[in-house]
Amino acid sequence: MMYYILLPFMAVVLVVLQSKLAEILFSGLVTLELSLIVVIYAGFRLELWKGAALSLVVGLAMDCLSGSLLGLFTLLYVFIFLLAWFVSSQIDSQRLYLIAGFSLVCSAAESLALVLLYQWVFGFDMVDKILPVLAPQTLLVSVLSVCFFYAMRRVERLLAYG
Amino acid sequence: MFFKNYRAVLFVGAVILAALFLFSYGLKYDAGQSLVQRLALGAAAPVQKLFTLCVESVGNAWTRYIRLVGLEEENRKLKTEIGELEARMTLYRQGHLEAQRLQALLSLAEREPYRFIAARVIGREQAALAKTLWIDKGEAQGLKPGMPVMALPGLIGRLTNVSLHSARVQLLIDEGSSADVLVERTRQQGMLRGAGSRGCVIRYISKIQDVREGDVILTSGLSNIFPKGLLVGKVVHTDRADAGMFLNIRVAPFADFTSLEEVLVLAGEKKDPFRERKAAK
Repeated sequence: MMYYILLPFMAVVLVVLQSKLAEILFSGLVTLELSLIVVIYAGFRLELWKGAALSLVVGLAMDCLSGSLLGLFTLLYVFIFLLAWFVSSQIDSQRLYLIAGFSLVCSAAESLALVLLYQWVFGFDMVDKILPVLAPQTLLVSVLSVCFFYAMRRVERLLAYG
Repeated sequence: MFFKNYRAVLFVGAVILAALFLFSYGLKYDAGQSLVQRLALGAAAPVQKLFTLCVESVGNAWTRYIRLVGLEEENRKLKTEIGELEARMTLYRQGHLEAQRLQALLSLAEREPYRFIAARVIGREQAALAKTLWIDKGEAQGLKPGMPVMALPGLIGRLTNVSLHSARVQLLIDEGSSADVLVERTRQQGMLRGAGSRGCVIRYISKIQDVREGDVILTSGLSNIFPKGLLVGKVVHTDRADAGMFLNIRVAPFADFTSLEEVLVLAGEKKDPFRERKAAK
């Protein structure tokens, strides 16, 4: 129960933290999407209920705080979570290179979806931003997901065995 | 039973529907003013402030650190510069003082009708008071033993040992030193002897003679060692109560023997072209 109570606050903290980090490290030129990595991690390591709730809430927090279209990131994160959840039965989350590859695919798919949706909904042509912004962002998510999964594995072990 | 078997599927469907509903709502009505958005922004504001505060604190600390590093570097440079400037200033000050001393010596050399050889003091006798000096000129420069040595304002001693490029000066205050002198005011003659830290004493002036404190003592020129009329010192004490025929006169030399750096060695009389021409005739 505590998980569900704390989840919205933690989601807000996560989104604010990632925007702050991106501002410090990349001067806001590239988004540091830690929330996407968390959603992928939830797909691999959490139960369906908890993970779905997490992706929903984190997506909603992203929508509200990033100034994007309401429901856009919610929808994308829910799909990515479900994809990760289905894939988790096929991929061993201990193999970090597979995680890196999957994160790369997810991030690329998200970027592509964003470009297409923005073009469809608002008529924005964001194709020119794919290489300078979205490509490094995708690579960054892939690299960071490996670090995140590794760190979380250590934390899980620590919590499990002390 | 149906719900139990397909609970997961139903849940997934519900979540997707909720997301789609939210998205379609956002597409149709989103103006950034929904309750959820306002709530999220309200919750995010303190977090954002907290992070900003942390980032600013770290940033300020870093900037201060960088500035401090810069200041440290600047401080080190300035200290080095100050050291160099102080060294240069000491050099200039020494040069200035040396110039003043040399100018004074030059005025002495110009005033007296003698030929002088200037020399630098390179050593002193390590006694309670310096009684001998080493100078950097010797035979090679024309110095000979016995030559009088002067410093402002008058006589300080004479050469005793002369090597090729250095010489030793026996100061007037050396216990072994003696010179024929006279009292300037009364022209009374006596023998000046060194008395170490007490200065000099004059012997062989009768008690009936009038010698007072403050009388100036000059060389008498009786011996061939010191020319006549060189300033020696001033009477600082006379004692008639002492047993014996002679006055006990203490003389303080004019020169400060502890701070001598340059001296003039009296090498002979100046060549006077008029006198030379007269002698030739």
